[in-house]
Amino acid sequence: MIMRRSWIATLALGVLLAGPHGRVVAFPVDGDQTTLPPRTELNEDALDKPREVFRSELAGGKSYMISLGNLAFSSPRILGGVARQANVSCGTCHVNGAGNAKLFMPKMSTRPGNFDTTGPLFNPKADNLVLDPIRIPSLRGARYLAPYGFDGRMPSLHDFVHNVIVNEFAGPEPSPVIVDAIVAYIQDIDFLPNPSLGPGGRLAGKISESERRGEALFKKPFPHDASLSCAGCHTPSGVFSDHQQHDVGSGGLFRTPTLRNADFNAPYFHDGRFDSYDQVVAHFDRVFDLGLSTQDRQDLVAYLTAVGDGVQPYEHDGAGASLKEINDFTTVLGTAIPAGDKDIVSLAVDTIGSELRELTEQYPDRKNTSVSGGEQERVQARNALKELVLSLRRMRRCTR
Amino acid sequence: MIDVRVAVCVALLVLGTGLHATIAAPLDDAAEKYRPYMIEGIGQALAGARDLRDRVAANDLPGAKKAWISARAGWERSEVFTAGFVPELDAQIDAWPNADSGFHAIEARLFGAGRTDAGKDTDALVEHLDNLHGKLRDMALTPQGLLDGIVRLAYEVGESKADGGESRISGTSLDDMRNNVAGIDFAYRTIFSTALTTGDAKLADGVAARIERLKVIVAAHDLPSIDVSELRRVSEELVILLQSASIKLGLQRATLEAKSQ
Repeated sequence: MIMRRSWIATLALGVLLAGPHGRVVAFPVDGDQTTLPPRTELNEDALDKPREVFRSELAGGKSYMISLGNLAFSSPRILGGVARQANVSCGTCHVNGAGNAKLFMPKMSTRPGNFDTTGPLFNPKADNLVLDPIRIPSLRGARYLAPYGFDGRMPSLHDFVHNVIVNEFAGPEPSPVIVDAIVAYIQDIDFLPNPSLGPGGRLAGKISESERRGEALFKKPFPHDASLSCAGCHTPSGVFSDHQQHDVGSGGLFRTPTLRNADFNAPYFHDGRFDSYDQVVAHFDRVFDLGLSTQDRQDLVAYLTAVGDGVQPYEHDGAGASLKEINDFTTVLGTAIPAGDKDIVSLAVDTIGSELRELTEQYPDRKNTSVSGGEQERVQARNALKELVLSLRRMRRCTR
Repeated sequence: MIDVRVAVCVALLVLGTGLHATIAAPLDDAAEKYRPYMIEGIGQALAGARDLRDRVAANDLPGAKKAWISARAGWERSEVFTAGFVPELDAQIDAWPNADSGFHAIEARLFGAGRTDAGKDTDALVEHLDNLHGKLRDMALTPQGLLDGIVRLAYEVGESKADGGESRISGTSLDDMRNNVAGIDFAYRTIFSTALTTGDAKLADGVAARIERLKVIVAAHDLPSIDVSELRRVSEELVILLQSASIKLGLQRATLEAKSQ
């Protein structure tokens, strides 16, 4: 415990030294000459990060298992060799538990924001020889959204996480506690609050006329099949999903996605084929022959936008955010060291050390001639962070 | 009990001071033995840079690339002392990652753009390396500065290479690492190994074992075959042991960043 307190004090020093500097752009997994499409990233750190809302934080604080799960989620070490080499973790695709609309992985993506979970790169044995990427889903509210997978093939989140680690990313068989921890972490990620949603999923508060008309259209039976409506599957009284699979003319049976916070979940549909609600509404209009007027379409889009909203969806990814996360991770050591849990200590030291090394690069050294000023402060910050990395390594040596 | 502790501490302090007095002079002598290696390394970088300048002038892209790699090898072996002893020239010669001059600006031109219109940069590179080469004979070499340099480079070798490393455009980051480790190995063996073995044989064994392990790791076939986790572990363990060695050698604890000038 004393060790933990001194850690937090040292990290606070790091916060004091923090300042705004650009990060080094990371490099793709596919060799030296890879060119990524414009406006895409293969680097979670380059993004303004989605804000993460934890259910437990509202209730008083994260448990050990949730922090351990967050740590494992951020660690390439639980995945297979290719992922480890490329520094890819669960958090690379699901940035802060949301999606990653900018991710483009050579050989695995056909457009920004999708990814082939049965592609050749990470686990050649699981390659189905077809480039069939699926949209990277947000995990917000995942505990309400069973069954799991784009086609809803897995009722258990535990089984789903295990499958991602072992089959999709060729990781070693994880210990049960790691899978349980990741599940606890995912189940703790809440939807962003949306003040426009009242009881029963009805729009509340200041509602525009267009949104109101859109809400009515959303619930209105389809003209050629009165048993169907948008709301029939995207159930407002639930989580805007009926948890069932349907064929909506997109090439198969796919699980109904939630519309909560969906404003930040583009691209849409199982393969991420659509960029906007306009395209989604146009698809349904065409496939189900809804006969929507231009105004109807606009109203539906206005309604979807109101339903899919969330408070403060992004937060600045500065040194402060990194240190907060690192600080959460160090609480894992506070439990694992006294318990003599060497595997967890090793995972934590490795993961926190990597994060600290990355954070160090926010303070460019003298060789980065594009940065001037604050040289003394940068040297101090770099030195403090490097000493922290070494302190962790010493801890690891002591617990062997 | 307290008295005993105080006595032990005092005894250690006395021993420590004595050790300092006995080790400092041999270390100064040993640092001198490093000088020819330093001159040779920068000499290779300079020869390579001159060749590079000529190849660029002759519009010979394959020849220029080869010369760049050769110049780079001598430079990377010398990184033990460049950041600490000649920081301004270091930044001019090896600016990174947003380089508008020096090795990496030329690298982007040759290996990235596939062009040889880098005459201005190669002229400047030759001038800076020539300038550095001229200083080496008379430069004051302190054991402290050299140990600091080894420690900083040992830490840097453990950096993640997931982004392709320092020389990703030319695909020679692994060569950089090998030359860095060779530079660490030579500087440690030439300057500190004997004194540390005398002062603390177990610690000296630990340092030697980590350096040997680093050599094995960077002997990997290519960058993706390197076990990044192990590389980082060994790099950090080496730094920790060398920081302990600083005290045993009568020097100050090695720092991880060159102080700003």
